[in-house]
Amino acid sequence: MSERSEPAAGDAFLAVEDLHAGYGDARVLHGVSLRVGQGEICAILGPNGAGKTTLLRALSGMCRVRGSVRLDGTDLAGRSPDAVARRGVAHVPEGRGTFMPLTVEENLRLGAFARRGRGARQSVADDLDRVYGYFPVLRTRMRQVAGSLSGGEQQMLAIGRALMLRPRLLLLDEPSLGLAPLVTRELFGIVRTINAEEGTTVVVVEQNAHLALGVAQQAHVLETGRIVLSGSAERIQADEQVAQSYLGYRV
Amino acid sequence: MAEFLQQVVEGLGAGAIYAGLALALVLIYRFTGVVNFAQGELAMFSTYIAWQFMAGGMAFWLALPLTLAVSFVGGMLIERVIIRPVEGAPELTVVIVTVGLFIFVNAAAGWIWSFLIKDFPSPFPAGSAQAGALTVSYSTLGNLAVVAVVMGALYLLFQHTKIGLGMRGVAADPRSARLVGIRVGWMLALGWGLAALVGAVSGVLVAPLLFLEPNMMGGVLLYAFAAATLGGFDSPVGAVVGGLIVGVAETLAGAYVGFIGSDLKVGVPLAIILAALLLRPQGLFGRAAVRQ
Repeated sequence: MSERSEPAAGDAFLAVEDLHAGYGDARVLHGVSLRVGQGEICAILGPNGAGKTTLLRALSGMCRVRGSVRLDGTDLAGRSPDAVARRGVAHVPEGRGTFMPLTVEENLRLGAFARRGRGARQSVADDLDRVYGYFPVLRTRMRQVAGSLSGGEQQMLAIGRALMLRPRLLLLDEPSLGLAPLVTRELFGIVRTINAEEGTTVVVVEQNAHLALGVAQQAHVLETGRIVLSGSAERIQADEQVAQSYLGYRV
Repeated sequence: MAEFLQQVVEGLGAGAIYAGLALALVLIYRFTGVVNFAQGELAMFSTYIAWQFMAGGMAFWLALPLTLAVSFVGGMLIERVIIRPVEGAPELTVVIVTVGLFIFVNAAAGWIWSFLIKDFPSPFPAGSAQAGALTVSYSTLGNLAVVAVVMGALYLLFQHTKIGLGMRGVAADPRSARLVGIRVGWMLALGWGLAALVGAVSGVLVAPLLFLEPNMMGGVLLYAFAAATLGGFDSPVGAVVGGLIVGVAETLAGAYVGFIGSDLKVGVPLAIILAALLLRPQGLFGRAAVRQ
């Protein structure tokens, strides 16, 4: 079922080859390979414990890996998370990673911490405006302590913080977790807008397959650390049998 | 009444010194979660460096910035070389390492400069200002002013500079700090450097009052612990307020509680630590740890 007609490694924006990862002695990923084209949204689906979060962590340097991760030709595997971030990978982690005691605006400014050089001050101000444009509620709360935000607002803040990095690759870990369906739908709408307006490449991990397949161009299904199914989002959504056996819901 | 106010003023002067060292303790604790038992000894060592500069004929106000620079770099080096290898180790391991550092720095100072006491000049003129019935020595005023300046400088650094924002980010959530591209290791080293610098200020302030010798900071460290515990170990403002309260409490207890006198004064910080831990463990200005 897996597609063999993917582009060669050289053409893909993000190329992951035979990636193994884990924590200490526990091995979680057993040889994952996938490619994402520039400006694409790629969904990673699968049941709990399949290794979805670990895959994102492996991409952003948060856990030890074997194998290769290339972003636009540069090798990222084995680099520390801060070095990966400085190369334009923004990871919105599980739990959102909010700087709780800091204000909303300080959280966003930290997102642009790696930016330096002439004109940085102005460009950070411009990006703050842009993020407030996507998430108007954050502007009304900019001087508020981030820990006082609701779950949905914190998720918006986490995505906003990631955008402040001016990412070439955006990694989203379960943005829908713990949020009301309406908020989740709004959030995915904004992710789609960001992708369309800025051409940001996105890898999104989701339990809510229906939502993720709605915005993604291609998808991979992960099970016990291996990719068991890859294809275009429409194909995976259309295949009812796949949906039932892997995604656990009827389309 | 005038007598009482006089005691309060004396207490504030002593409290300014405790506040300085408590500030150094709090800086490291906020960034690394480490209680640095060697903080007082580092301050003592810095004071010896200042003494050495002045023994070479340098003026105090030139020796001071040089000493602060050396202390800053020294603090960063200690973090990189001694603390880094045990980063992430259980708390006990790190605490034992700082206790080892305490003993090492103390012995090194004794080896280099001997254990004989040395005179350390006060940077402030002798004499005092008169306000009504109140007499305030220039050194007391000077100590208070210096601590206020240090506090203000730290405030500006943390609230109004990008590097300060980065440091607060690291203190709030090191994992997220890495994800936005901050070199967390360097920020921790910077925290140690800053703490060593602030500690050096308190050492230089205390030396003229106590004479300079390797064990000079032992008592001060105890008062600084009391100040930090009272103010809240994660709050710089708390450290300063705590230091002033401890200084005043100590002086008043020495003057007015008959059986305490000057010998039992050192029991005051212990009583304050105990009371703070029992009644308000997070301190006056600290945040209580909330687990969701």
